Amino acid sequence: MELLGNGSFLIEQLMNAIMLGCIYTLVAVGFSLFFGVLDVVVFCSGDIAVFGTFSLMGAYMIFETAGLTAMLPTPVWMMLLMGVAAILCAALGVFTYLSSIRPFEKSSSLMPLLSTIALGVVIRETIGLFFPLGRNPQRFPRLIPSGSFGGHALLSYRNVTIICVTFLVLLAVFFFLRKSKMGNAMQAMAQNKRLAAIAGINIRSVAITTFVLGGLLLSVAGFLIGAYYGTVRFDNGSLYGIKGFSAAVVGGLSNVYGAIIGGMLLAFIEVFVSILPGGAAYASAVAFIAVVIFMVAKPEGILGEKTVEKV
Amino acid sequence: MNRKRLSVCLAALLAVGTLFSGCGKEDDGGTPVGGADDRPVVKVGFMGPLTGGNASEGSAARNGFTMAFDQLNESGELPYYVEVVAMDDGSKPETATSAVQRLVTTDGIVAISGHWNSPAATATIPICKSNNIPLVIWGAIGESLTSAENYPIITRVCPTDRQENVTLAKYVLEDLGYKNIYIISDTTSYGQSNTQAFQEQMKKYDANLIGIDEVPDTQNDFRAILSKVKQAKPDAIFFGGVSMGGGLVKSQMVDAGMDDILLFGISGICSEDYIIAAGAENAEGTFSIKPGTDPTKTEVGQKFLADYEAKNYSVPVGAFTPYSYDAAQVIIQAMKDCEGEITAEKMIEKIAAVKANGLLGETQFDEIGQTTNPASYALVVQDGKWVPWEDSLYATGERTLPGRK
Repeated sequence: MELLGNGSFLIEQLMNAIMLGCIYTLVAVGFSLFFGVLDVVVFCSGDIAVFGTFSLMGAYMIFETAGLTAMLPTPVWMMLLMGVAAILCAALGVFTYLSSIRPFEKSSSLMPLLSTIALGVVIRETIGLFFPLGRNPQRFPRLIPSGSFGGHALLSYRNVTIICVTFLVLLAVFFFLRKSKMGNAMQAMAQNKRLAAIAGINIRSVAITTFVLGGLLLSVAGFLIGAYYGTVRFDNGSLYGIKGFSAAVVGGLSNVYGAIIGGMLLAFIEVFVSILPGGAAYASAVAFIAVVIFMVAKPEGILGEKTVEKV
Repeated sequence: MNRKRLSVCLAALLAVGTLFSGCGKEDDGGTPVGGADDRPVVKVGFMGPLTGGNASEGSAARNGFTMAFDQLNESGELPYYVEVVAMDDGSKPETATSAVQRLVTTDGIVAISGHWNSPAATATIPICKSNNIPLVIWGAIGESLTSAENYPIITRVCPTDRQENVTLAKYVLEDLGYKNIYIISDTTSYGQSNTQAFQEQMKKYDANLIGIDEVPDTQNDFRAILSKVKQAKPDAIFFGGVSMGGGLVKSQMVDAGMDDILLFGISGICSEDYIIAAGAENAEGTFSIKPGTDPTKTEVGQKFLADYEAKNYSVPVGAFTPYSYDAAQVIIQAMKDCEGEITAEKMIEKIAAVKANGLLGETQFDEIGQTTNPASYALVVQDGKWVPWEDSLYATGERTLPGRK
């Protein structure tokens, strides 16, 4: 068995893991963002991402019937398409906040957990009911041309696009959090809500911005899910929700950087357990056992901060 | 915000959530056209996946089943008006249980036909037995569903997974001459019984098992497994699962450049959904079998397809639609055999002894209620469509199946 070199087994698996990791990471960053700023676990994050995938498909269908794809140059309608999906996801993010989180601001943190699980079911079933033949598997349109750089199957346009998009999106999130005033306000709120409010930060607008940002991020995750697998089903969101949440927990739930490490780690565990003989049946189980081990041994996550509760 | 409003909000959200998740809800599409006339009414139940990932297979079966009774009601052959009550089993045992409980407590139910998923059938069989309502299974193929203990209340018009795998193995391992097989299946009871049944056949034909991988049926990512399979260099992959998983495997095989390996499986992947999930261009050259006989080849089959077409249903005929239609024919024949009053008790006896003519020829049941007509025929995906094997360019030699030596 050729292990190294171009097109070899190990390199191919490494690429599989990175691609899977990119998708988990984006969903996990969504989770961390919400948890970091508002201390809530938004369980419908995976469903928002899949909603993004379906928005893209729906918009593409409309564009195609309206003749826009033939009329406009490809980059223009592609940007328009992404724009539509991003706006819809951001709106769904804000709706999530207004319907399932804000009403429970002062109640126990179990409430938003439950309400976002319920909202996830609503999103999933709404797609199933209202998208044309929504309950059947759907083919994602080929938005990224087939072919590859230099003829290497691993460097297909799709793979390279996915890695670049993930990298750029994460970079944008970091710059936003680090450099912009709103980003700083979000970080301040993550550190200490009451103090942030006293310092004159408008908590409401920061919360809404967080959900807009999260929605945008998840719409990109939705695009990547569609582009990478080529096929989606309305109920795929729960899978990505659980994987993204686990990745965020491993990395340190409130730490956005930890989510990247967590997402990659989870993907690497899954892929490398899968390649053992007969291992595929255990891939998810092993990945979740790893999550449990992390929760027991390092509950704050890889990059999380230790919280000391004073009694 | 006050507490009261909070709880109202939460309750409303949860209520909407459960409402949408569709537990055993009655389906509007199932009510017969025309409505009851002055004849006395008897009712038959139908259960199948009308929501969820298998909704298209289940809805097509429901359409075929309802159509048979519409035709009966129009013909006036029976001094009764037969009403179909269609329920969703959502492919899940828990939804199926609530569906069957609704059916057995409905007044006037004399027979039920049900299920595409064996776990759903496993859940409803004891309930039908304890209520003495005959259940004719139209599409669930788990071996153990028909048995001496379940006879005569439980009968089945479609072949079991074992019967299907026997036919498939003969085609692939003997007629087409594939030798080195890798098995990928899902961890559901369907996947596991397929893996087992096909492995037995492989021993019979002396084929080599290169490896086995079982994955949860929610899995989307087969790339890691496929890279491993590529290294193992089999001639063919047996997929023991259903459309969505099969389609993902096939499209990811194309991505990984595995053009020289055949993908084949039993009727679980033999549907339009498979081609959508794989993408039409990727699906090319997939080999599968369908239970029954090719409806386009027989006169009754052509009439059935034309009638179905004329009804303008939103889903096309599925792999098991002819079976649900024939399950209806079995029930109709048994109703005629009752000669007079139709009761569930009489129906149990008459169904078990039935000789019904349908799309697939004559259906009779053996001593455990299994059909004695295990016909299946082979199909291959050609230019984005399932084409009967004999009619395909692959059989004439104009195209070659992947990996065929």
